[in-house]
Amino acid sequence: MNTIKLYVRSMGMLMKSHMQYTSSFILQMLTQLVMEGGEMLAVILVVDRFEKVNQWTGGDLYFFFGMMSVSFYTTEIFARGITGDFPSMVRTGRLDTLMLRPRTIFFQVLCSGTDPRRITCIAVGVASLIIGSRMSGVEWSVLKALALTEAVLMSCMLILGLFLIEAIFSIHSVKSVELVNAITYGGRSACQYPTDIYPRPLKILFTVVAPFALTMQVPAAWILGKPLYGWPAWTAFVTPLSGAAVLALMIVLFNRGMKYYRSTGS
Amino acid sequence: MSYIEVNGLKKSFTVKKKREKGKLFREKQIVEALKGISFSVDRGELVGYIGPNGAGKSTTVKILSGILTPDGGEATVGGRVPWQERREYVRHIGVVFGQRSQLWWDVPIIDSFSLLKDIYRLSEADYSSRLKELSEALQLEELMRTPLRLLSLGQRMRAELCGSLLHRPELLFLDEPTIGLDAVSKLALRDFLKWENSEHGTTVMLTTHDMEDIAALCSRVMVLGHGRKLYDGKLPELLEKYDTVRTVNVKYDAAHPELVLPEGVSAEWNDSELSLSYSPSKLPTAQLLALLQDAGRISEMTLQPENIDHLIAAMYKEMDL
Repeated sequence: MNTIKLYVRSMGMLMKSHMQYTSSFILQMLTQLVMEGGEMLAVILVVDRFEKVNQWTGGDLYFFFGMMSVSFYTTEIFARGITGDFPSMVRTGRLDTLMLRPRTIFFQVLCSGTDPRRITCIAVGVASLIIGSRMSGVEWSVLKALALTEAVLMSCMLILGLFLIEAIFSIHSVKSVELVNAITYGGRSACQYPTDIYPRPLKILFTVVAPFALTMQVPAAWILGKPLYGWPAWTAFVTPLSGAAVLALMIVLFNRGMKYYRSTGS
Repeated sequence: MSYIEVNGLKKSFTVKKKREKGKLFREKQIVEALKGISFSVDRGELVGYIGPNGAGKSTTVKILSGILTPDGGEATVGGRVPWQERREYVRHIGVVFGQRSQLWWDVPIIDSFSLLKDIYRLSEADYSSRLKELSEALQLEELMRTPLRLLSLGQRMRAELCGSLLHRPELLFLDEPTIGLDAVSKLALRDFLKWENSEHGTTVMLTTHDMEDIAALCSRVMVLGHGRKLYDGKLPELLEKYDTVRTVNVKYDAAHPELVLPEGVSAEWNDSELSLSYSPSKLPTAQLLALLQDAGRISEMTLQPENIDHLIAAMYKEMDL
């Protein structure tokens, strides 16, 4: 209980910090809106030109896009400490100060960053989900709402887990994180579209290695009534759990990695 | 057994050099930051830890505060091993880095303190009585609602001290706490540390380059160089060994009196003023004074020991640091 309270209070404090620079905050929020709007525009252009990509209609594509936006940017709002700030915390030695407190490092890093500007990106994502489900004529039920909630939650965990790989690399002051970016930011861009339109290697990458397909697309496709890879309905509830598995594994590895932390000079 | 027991502590770092032309891999160099340090500190002691840059001071503090794991050797603080069970251990210690803030930059400091209360799971009553005590001693009452970034360096350091002592640690590490502070802030900080030490029996370990800090605060000083402990004892005794040069300024009534000085005394005349430096171990002070008095009527005279920083510099030089 105390832990949740502490997280909420830390987030409140960070919000306060962001609000110290109000005009800059609003401007950046608008910038984010334009950027994410641009991303969506790309999908709109594809839909406009082709009407259908394999079995997927325009509405389906908007739905997939929305899934990714909502999941990715929700993660960035609630776990910016991991998805953005961690490498610089290592470099500047701020991580040292976290180690002096009687809490786990993972939790404290989580408490030390938020990116509220992303709220506009989430708005774009939600709009895209609504438009998509309308156009594809989704008939909502409790079960489908549940599947959607689980999918977003598990996708957030997966994304957090993937960003933890980058964090683990940076503990060892390895600066070559581009390879990891390929599956985090690269994954975000690629998996805005259903993975079954891609050639085999990419399909494998995003189903097995960085399983975006399992956490968000299998349930999304089931909601749309067109199972991904032709898998049965129960997979829509089971495969997303891989997100939690990836996160758990990465937290274990992260904690092990912290044992080798060597701090910076002062 | 003493409160802090350190035995043969070792730590080395691998430093990667820039890749040379024609070689596939970068050369690695192993830097031994600590080459087997041993010491013990009793509860309630105020210990100074000095040495030139790169001597291993910060590394020791980081190991003893649970941030780094040593490569070899043992250390216990109050029966606990710092780098094992870090979370349980850090409840009992406080650390202040002179160069690094532990509070939140953009929010009023009272908000930082109240978040620390939750982080350390302090009870409301305990927290408010301790905060009151500390804010009075550190004169922070007026500043509580000011964001950290708007405070002066001296005010910030006081806020940092308050933050690191809220949970009533038994042991306080200070890593160059007076760096960049003005004279008033330094004196206030020293007074506060003395007060905290005598009032609560807090053990204090202080690294610094400011010898005045040590002279004012620490009954005991440890000198570190090249990862080894070179001296452990009282400061005056350490200084005595290196207190080899004294400066005398004399002003005579008449210009250029006749004065023959023995060898080894360097003197410089400026009209009727003479400044000379000598070494009391070679030439007894009484003998020098007699010589000076014989030469003419002295109107003014000052005798001063060498500046403490020069002594330390001489010591580092002799120890080949």
